[in-house]
Amino acid sequence: MIFREVEDRDLVAKARRGDVEAFNLLVSRWEKRVFNYLLRLARNREDALDLSQEVFLKAYQNLGKIEDAGRFGSWLFRIAHNEAFSLLRKRKPEADAPEAEIDARPRHSFPIELSLAVENALARLAADQREAVILKIYQGFKFEEMAEVLSCPVSTVKSRLYTALDLLKDTLAPIQTRGVQ
Amino acid sequence: MTCSPYDPKDFLFGELSAAQGREIEEHLQSCPECREEFERLRLTQTALHSLREEEPPRRIAFVSDRVFEPRWWSKLWQSGPRLGFASAAMLAAAILIHGFARPVSIGPPPPDTAAIEARIGAEVARRIEPAVRAAVAESEARQARKTEELVAAARKNFELQRDADHVAIAETLTLLQKKYMVQVASADWGTRP
Repeated sequence: MIFREVEDRDLVAKARRGDVEAFNLLVSRWEKRVFNYLLRLARNREDALDLSQEVFLKAYQNLGKIEDAGRFGSWLFRIAHNEAFSLLRKRKPEADAPEAEIDARPRHSFPIELSLAVENALARLAADQREAVILKIYQGFKFEEMAEVLSCPVSTVKSRLYTALDLLKDTLAPIQTRGVQ
Repeated sequence: MTCSPYDPKDFLFGELSAAQGREIEEHLQSCPECREEFERLRLTQTALHSLREEEPPRRIAFVSDRVFEPRWWSKLWQSGPRLGFASAAMLAAAILIHGFARPVSIGPPPPDTAAIEARIGAEVARRIEPAVRAAVAESEARQARKTEELVAAARKNFELQRDADHVAIAETLTLLQKKYMVQVASADWGTRP
């Protein structure tokens, strides 16, 4: 992570000086994580892809505004958060959101039943709780970084995550007790 | 709710110090309920990891790709119309500001109509008298010319008439003279034997 930060800082500095390839490298490095974050939040591949493109476009346009180039990841996810919630607000009410796409591809060593159950359980969470789970479980952010991305205190981040975890624990309990673990 | 000294979720996410971690571990070993609760959390976390990261269906465009170029409407906006729009906006703003910020009583005082009327009257009087005088003189001259013409014409007619009368009188005298001569001659012839 330290190496990545050092390299990100270096790439951001080069991109700011007009080095296009340096920014292309940042895109290559972060596109998968940003896409998956947006996919779990928006629950639609095309939306996630369009939003990802928009995120990197805005990042490029606002590269001069980043205060700490070493925290490029948090800054990038802050843009992604804004873009995602802008879309989710347009989609309101949440009940009207398009049905989550169900990917029937095999999930490595996990049974398809568990993967579908997890997708459904995540879809039933409130958007801010789902986002907290995505940032912590799937993106591996620290609580301080999450607070930076979400622009709220660490205590709020923890509260959202722990509430979501309790809900997921209860929702997924029947699946787990059927021995899929 | 658990009787654990710390939140098992903090332990799950590595938020406790080493000493706190050891303390909760000892508690979990001695408390079946808390151990079960922690186990369910761990299983939930494992279940969540069953969703794998996906590759984006197509790569995100690079800066060198066309998507990072300004769009057609953006280019258009950057060109003439933006200048036109900006100019129109500035003009509108200037008109508005002028309308709202114009001082109430800046400008010349209202004109003194009585003074103006007096000045106009004096000017008219100054100019009208010579004009009337000139017009009267011109009219008098015209009348004098006409009178002279009439007098000349009358004189000429009189002279013509007088000449004609002279001729007529002369002819009449000649005729009377001839008649007298005839009568005289006739009388002479009557008295002769």
